[in-house]
Amino acid sequence: MLQAENLFKTYRRHAVQVRVLNGLNLEVKTGEFLSIVGASGSGKSTLLHLLGTLDAPDSGTISLDGKRIDNLPAAERDALRNRTFGYIFQFYHLLPELSTLHNVLMPAYIGQTTMGWWKSRSKWRGRAVELLRRVGLSHRMNHRPRELSGGEMQRAAVARALLMNPRVLLADEPTGNLDADTGGEIVRLLRDINRDEGVTIVMVTHNLDIVSATDRVVRMVNGVVTEDSSCLKPFPASQPRLIAV
Amino acid sequence: MPPVSEPPDAGRERETNSVYKLLLCVRYLQTRYLAFICIVSVMLGVATLIVVNAVMSGFSTKLKTRLHGILSDVVIDTERMDGFAKYDNQGRPLFDHHGQVMGLSPDEMIARIKENDALWDKIEAVSPTIEVFAILQFNFQGQRQSKPVKVIGIDPRSRTEVGGFSEYLVRQTGATAPTFDLTPQALKQHEDNKRARDWNAAPTPIAPNLPRVPMPGDIPEPDPDIMKAAMPAPELHGVIPGYSLAHFRFRNEHGQVVEEAVLKPGDDVTIVTIGGGEIKPVWGTFLVSDYMKTEMSEYDASFVYVPLHQLQAIRGMQDRCTALQIKLGNYEADKLFVTNELRKLFPYPDVRVDSWEERQGPLLSAIEVERSILNILLFMIVGVAGFSILAIFTMIVSEKYRDIGIMKSLGASNRGVMWIFVGYGLLLGAVGVALGTVLGLMITDHINQIEKFLTDLSGRALFPRDVYYFKEIPTNVAPLSVMAVNIGAVAIAVLFSLLPAWRAARLHPVRALRFE
Repeated sequence: MLQAENLFKTYRRHAVQVRVLNGLNLEVKTGEFLSIVGASGSGKSTLLHLLGTLDAPDSGTISLDGKRIDNLPAAERDALRNRTFGYIFQFYHLLPELSTLHNVLMPAYIGQTTMGWWKSRSKWRGRAVELLRRVGLSHRMNHRPRELSGGEMQRAAVARALLMNPRVLLADEPTGNLDADTGGEIVRLLRDINRDEGVTIVMVTHNLDIVSATDRVVRMVNGVVTEDSSCLKPFPASQPRLIAV
Repeated sequence: MPPVSEPPDAGRERETNSVYKLLLCVRYLQTRYLAFICIVSVMLGVATLIVVNAVMSGFSTKLKTRLHGILSDVVIDTERMDGFAKYDNQGRPLFDHHGQVMGLSPDEMIARIKENDALWDKIEAVSPTIEVFAILQFNFQGQRQSKPVKVIGIDPRSRTEVGGFSEYLVRQTGATAPTFDLTPQALKQHEDNKRARDWNAAPTPIAPNLPRVPMPGDIPEPDPDIMKAAMPAPELHGVIPGYSLAHFRFRNEHGQVVEEAVLKPGDDVTIVTIGGGEIKPVWGTFLVSDYMKTEMSEYDASFVYVPLHQLQAIRGMQDRCTALQIKLGNYEADKLFVTNELRKLFPYPDVRVDSWEERQGPLLSAIEVERSILNILLFMIVGVAGFSILAIFTMIVSEKYRDIGIMKSLGASNRGVMWIFVGYGLLLGAVGVALGTVLGLMITDHINQIEKFLTDLSGRALFPRDVYYFKEIPTNVAPLSVMAVNIGAVAIAVLFSLLPAWRAARLHPVRALRFE
């Protein structure tokens, strides 16, 4: 479904050059829950940004269903981020001026014409409310992000990522800022979404405890994939356990 | 986990979506208190511009009204002291058998104008006048006062038809046929003055009444009774001086401006000027019958109106005049045509034909230039507001780095992000302009109360009425001017928000998301 071939990416700051991706190859299959692990600076987040068209590789290609997406015009890449990909970040990245409900609705606000929004606003609102109920935040719809706990903010971010019914969820250390229990809840939520709705999920994490929830684990070292294996041990249904990969 | 409904059909036309831009603009306005500094800056700039424009326009309009008020629409006048002269076809003056230049009477001039039907149709009234410099002399507190003045000989009826005369008379305000006649009170004042002069005159020593020795060939003594019967009563001629000539203004011991009439109706004045034909002094005595109060200090302090026929008699000008005042039926439509045609009719080197605007051109231009310069200077206030918008927006954009990254990760385009901040600038500008307009109009409406309050507070007159001769600060709110200020202020707000907005749009989403 999502294929990265021979990706190179170098960050330059003044005279300093840091090569982050070094000829990386990866294929993400439709409907799988893939986790990417690796040390800091191994290029996990950069890979996620490239896959989601937030950034462009120096060389190499990224394809979605066989069609290159890394060289698309800006407007088409914007459209992909709006409808095809859903992002979840470590620091939740909710807009602080807006209520939880408005944050969840933001992709629809961005993706809709004024007239289109006006015509279908009640449907969008209904879907956002349903998503918030599903992630257990129906009682927090009108609260601002600063009034929510870390776990609640991340659940709101998940609801936002799901609003446009994306085909791929890109989660950048979704549990990195949460305690173990709350992180476990978020991972279970993602796994449920993956299983129930068939949404492909690519999750970057440091936390080896949660990768057991995923179908496949990829390890990155110095900008290349060094290990690619299926996760054999089941992720606990209620209490997370420490499982080494 | 319960299933969630499918999202509604999301057919995208990406560049026409404004919902998130509007939502974020409004939310930023509600939550970023720094923005209120921008709003207040714009508000104060707009309010100042509206007030200053209204006051300047008020002064300008009032001045124009006054300037036009006393001047007729079109003036034909001559440089010659003896009035209009006749010329032959070659443009040479014609002389009579005494070697004097032949005069062109007002009737002859009007007859010549009437020959041009198209021209005469556009003329509503004509009035001949004589305008000449003079010295006005009168007694005040036992001392002889002399003032340089401009004496204008008029026919009050026709001058009123031309306009700009009777509406400024103090006693005969708006009269259709004002006169120089004295009121009974003025006549009584005249008699009182005469008695006072006789009373004050020092008694001349009387020589002892010795019997006269008749001499041969003596002319017999006239019979005093016959002398009195044959002598006509002296004719009393009225004069209408400018209000400031007849009233002195000064500050009393409390610092208040007080006014004292130095020429009351019935008081006599002597006007000394020069003859029409020869350069020799001539004079006449007149009695004050009314005052002219135009509220234009220059006019009120120097103009003196006398009957035309009397000035002609004093100056030996027979039936000639030095100017023709003309009123047009439709000034704006016909001014060019009429002045051009009149110039063709009187193409003489000493004759000038001008519309009132041409006559007052330098003054009107000066007012406009002053207003333009003031507007430019004051618009810098809005410019300063613009720079505060630039500074504050730059801060806000820096604060919003992460939000910009979030929006881009959710599919917002660079242009969309740019429009959020441009829209924010527009919104700030619009709110500032709306508040500034309300404030400016309120201040303009209550400017005289505010001036009075500030004068009472500071003890200094902010608007000295003795300087301007206006009872109140004149204001004139021109909707077009207010609109121009509003559009200009909003444009500046948008313009100064462009740079921070462009920076926001150019921000790389990955860098923005990593920003701490």
